[in-house]
Amino acid sequence: MKPAPFEYVKAVSVADAVALLTEHRGDARLLAGGQSLVPMLNMRLLRPSVVIDVNGLADALGEIALQGDAVAVGALVRYAEIERSSLVAERVPLLRHVVAYIGDRQVRNRGTVGGAVAHADPTGEIALVTLALGAIMRAEGPDGVRDIHAEAFFLGPYTTALAPDEMLTHVIFPPAAPAFRFFERGRKHNDFAVLSLAVVGRPEPDGTWRDIRIALGGVHDRPVLAAAAARALEGRRWDDALVRDAALLALEDCDPPDDFRASAEYRRHLVPVHVRRMLSALAGGHE
Amino acid sequence: MADTLPHVAGAPVGVGTPVTRKEDDRLLRGDGRFTDDVRPADALHMAVGRCPFPHARIAHLDTSAAERLDGVRHILVGADVVAATSVISPLRPTPGTPDLPYYALAPEVCVYEGHAFVSVAATSRHIAEDAIDLVEVEWEPLPHVTDTLAALAPEATVLHPAQLDSNLLSTNPMGPGADAELAAADVIVEDVFRVNRVTGLPMEPRAVVAEWRPGARRLTVHCATQVPHLVRMQLAETLHLDEGEVRVIASDVGGGYGLKLGAYPEDVLACLHSMRLVRPVKWAEDRQEHFRATTHARESVHRFRIAATQTGRILAITDTYAADLGGQYSSFGPAQLSSYTYPGPYRVTAGHVERQVVVTNKTPIGAYRGYGQPEVNFARERLMDRLAREVGIDPLEVRLMNLLTPEELPFTNLSGAIYDSGDYPRCLRMAADAVDYSGHRVRGTVRPDGRRTGIGFSSFIERTGYPSAKFLADRRSRYGTHESLTLRANRTGGIDLFTGVSTMGQGSETTIAQVCAQVHGVDFARITVHAGDTGASPLNTGGFSSRTMIAAAGAVRIAASELRAKTLRIAAYRLAVDPEDLTIDGQVVRLRDDPACAISLAEVHEAAIFGRGIPDEEDPGLEATAHYEPPAAAFAFGSAAAVVTVDPETGDFDVDRFVFVHDSGTVVNPLIVEGQVRGALAQGFGAALGEELRYDRDTGQLVSGSMLDYFAPTAADLPEWELLHTEVASPVTPFGVRGVGETGTIPPAAAIANAICDALSDMNLDITSLPITPESVWRAIAAASAGEGMS
Ligand SMILES: Cc1cc2nc3c(=O)[nH]c(=O)nc-3n(C[C@H](O)[C@H](O)[C@H](O)COP(=O)(O)OP(=O)(O)OC[C@H]3O[C@@H](n4cnc5c(N)ncnc54)[C@H](O)[C@@H]3O)c2cc1C
Repeated sequence: MKPAPFEYVKAVSVADAVALLTEHRGDARLLAGGQSLVPMLNMRLLRPSVVIDVNGLADALGEIALQGDAVAVGALVRYAEIERSSLVAERVPLLRHVVAYIGDRQVRNRGTVGGAVAHADPTGEIALVTLALGAIMRAEGPDGVRDIHAEAFFLGPYTTALAPDEMLTHVIFPPAAPAFRFFERGRKHNDFAVLSLAVVGRPEPDGTWRDIRIALGGVHDRPVLAAAAARALEGRRWDDALVRDAALLALEDCDPPDDFRASAEYRRHLVPVHVRRMLSALAGGHE
Repeated sequence: MADTLPHVAGAPVGVGTPVTRKEDDRLLRGDGRFTDDVRPADALHMAVGRCPFPHARIAHLDTSAAERLDGVRHILVGADVVAATSVISPLRPTPGTPDLPYYALAPEVCVYEGHAFVSVAATSRHIAEDAIDLVEVEWEPLPHVTDTLAALAPEATVLHPAQLDSNLLSTNPMGPGADAELAAADVIVEDVFRVNRVTGLPMEPRAVVAEWRPGARRLTVHCATQVPHLVRMQLAETLHLDEGEVRVIASDVGGGYGLKLGAYPEDVLACLHSMRLVRPVKWAEDRQEHFRATTHARESVHRFRIAATQTGRILAITDTYAADLGGQYSSFGPAQLSSYTYPGPYRVTAGHVERQVVVTNKTPIGAYRGYGQPEVNFARERLMDRLAREVGIDPLEVRLMNLLTPEELPFTNLSGAIYDSGDYPRCLRMAADAVDYSGHRVRGTVRPDGRRTGIGFSSFIERTGYPSAKFLADRRSRYGTHESLTLRANRTGGIDLFTGVSTMGQGSETTIAQVCAQVHGVDFARITVHAGDTGASPLNTGGFSSRTMIAAAGAVRIAASELRAKTLRIAAYRLAVDPEDLTIDGQVVRLRDDPACAISLAEVHEAAIFGRGIPDEEDPGLEATAHYEPPAAAFAFGSAAAVVTVDPETGDFDVDRFVFVHDSGTVVNPLIVEGQVRGALAQGFGAALGEELRYDRDTGQLVSGSMLDYFAPTAADLPEWELLHTEVASPVTPFGVRGVGETGTIPPAAAIANAICDALSDMNLDITSLPITPESVWRAIAAASAGEGMS
């Protein structure tokens, strides 16, 4: 388990990283926390000819900052920094909540938000949260900066809308509905999810719910929004029957995979059960 | 054991003292010396090329591009190995098996994914792996079979056609039979139980450093093994060397569990490269290859049956099982203890067992903690609950009714195994009381939140040690049952203790020294243990089969008594007193009645070592070597109770409580016993609830061969075990000890399965395969409801 030979370059700026990506178009990889890239190199599943280390760019990309009423998280922010950030705790509590489900302490000390999103594991917790909260991915390429909505960002397993010469610089979380519930089931503690699920919404004084988003992980080739289920619940008062029917609609937006962790059949069974339970928990204000 | 008081520094240490391990200091300081820590300055590094197919012929192999790579020093292919070596001989073949051609590299046909076919020695591991990439192979894939039972079907491709005409390697029937009892039985419960393929996952994968000095004709092999002396024997045979030319050293070993029991192909390859290049050659297995190159375990299919009366009394037990071998023999081969322990702790006088060893296109199977006993325990204890249900008697009562009582021991079971002593029903009652079983029966299983809670039991015995050397010889096993030890006094007043048992976490440096301190009288702290070097230790057997303490306690007792007697004679001579009046007390020899009349051990030792100032009739020197073969195996025993809460909608379940009651005889060190029990329970839970080495039927690929997909539990996945024990001294072993290394692996699966079935007893579901996962429980619920609908 030693990597095939590659050239190592340390980027000195985002522009430098982008230039290097452009130069080696398609044959270079950015190295952030290395928690996904390094194992893939060691197993020789990836054989880039150049590895561009971006860990020196923490000054530019290692900050969590308020931008108007949105929270901008730099691509090099480590999971552990999310756990410790009071700004995240206050403004994006769901993001902070899910970090505890990722890997172990060592992984959380190294792994970065940008790496997690760019890696686009279909079970990744951060990717799930970007969907649930309607985050915006900011990328820089040879032609400048562009913003990509989370919904348009994840294209398939380990595949994103980033071009080979683009680098993700920030994940921006606009203000979102305040109430949320998160659930995850794996084969063992902090393993990749068999199913993960975030529900977000805003209870109105009249007893109805607004701005509902339901994001699912592990049950599709990428994290997905259960849009049909959310539509059924939007602007309504919830009762058991409505919640039950909406939960069933969650199956319309996912096509669960069959893998070693769980069969597609079992995942299909679990989706409406846990969507229903989380919606009830959200409505009832309990776990 | 929770009530164990810590040992006070300075107080005497002997049998029963909860002293912390001698090994801990160096391990906790990062000062252990594992094989990968052996770093000769001019070492070369080896990498191994492995077959990507489950079954394939090497049609063409070209290593020229690899040879040209800068830094590559030597490449071996199958033909080189066949020319230079003999096959690796198994240490414990199943009786009646023909020899399969077990070479270090596949000569022509690879029989499992990961089967080694080429090895490279180069200046770095990176370059060696690059070279493997450059080896050009033309594979001719052959039909494969990975399922154990499918391999027995007439249409299955035969994997070793030169030796076998089917994939059935051997059939071993045993037992008196049960025709009359089966005919007379009121009730017969039976099923097919599938036990998952798992592995022991030591923290340290395997490793070897081989160094050949042609002038000295010495091959020194550092190797992560449980059995340095047996590896030395195997390497000498395979490499056509005199045993005297081979020295094997296993200093610290990072976990063995049965996986490091004997020579492996890579050990032979590193030696071959070193002998050719006259340079040290190192190979450290990485985790990825560990999952394919180191033995797997347990996979078997048991057709198990219990016949009983309407009152729940067992009349007969039978088990016919297929044990998966994988593609090739390993040093230990498939587990053999299912055939000896299948009747368990019960009064069973009729029955039979038959083992069928089956060849499949998978990694070879070897020994693993439990060695056949967890497998039959799962089948039998599940069926005990089924029996209870059939006859309408509580499962606890059915067990108590059939458990052997203390008065019935010793008892010879259906396979001739002799259960020596103990109180089996008491352990079960302790487990039932601990979980308030009677209260549970009153409360019922339904909880307010819709989930269900159940309690399950699992009673067990464990054979620890071997019946005799003759028993092993009759089965063509290539080792004895004794342990051997050397004690050598040193001039600073301490004792050097030499043992061929390597240190792999089992604590034997500590426990053997405890016995030595007790028998001899020297301070425990002054005993320095030198473990695992064949150049220094007497020729012994090794650390496996829960046997070390049973045999080593006897050997150290003899050697320490001998050393003590001579020490007392020399001290008596120098003090001008009678040796009878003397005793050894820590660092001095003194008069029993007058501590002031004393002489230091250092002085006595020096006198003996220099041969000055000792009685004329005494030989100089102060050293003793002893060998001890225990007269019989000792049987550990106990019962476990699991309290499990199940979510019937999803199949999710939590083990709320797990009470483990066991007896390992006289406890030499309560801390070490507790550590062994907890470690084995962790592996028992892992195998029961998560771990599974699964092969894809169509592609023949191992789909869970990495830490990403092999669900070994972490501390966060395990419940808080409650440990209780009794301490019945075994009459057949020194000090009454029983082995303790493996028991924890045995009962978890059945106890948890029984608890789940109890929780959902109104659904009448069944669990017959492992691992038990939320999905498998959900499927069992679905199957039970479908059955309901049909009836
Ligand atoms: C033991 C273990 C357990 C884990 N458990 C979990 C888990 O439970 N949940 C989970 O979500 N993840 C888990 N992970 C994966 C972990 O979260 C990774 O850290 C993460 O997926 C990638 O982040 P990284 O910073 O380490 O990226 P790297 O490994 O450095 O890079 C990953 C990929 O993203 C690319 N990349 C990195 N940064 C950028 C950027 N700014 N712009 C464009 N491309 C970029 C790289 O080129 C590479 O292709 C686990 C990993 C390990 C080793």
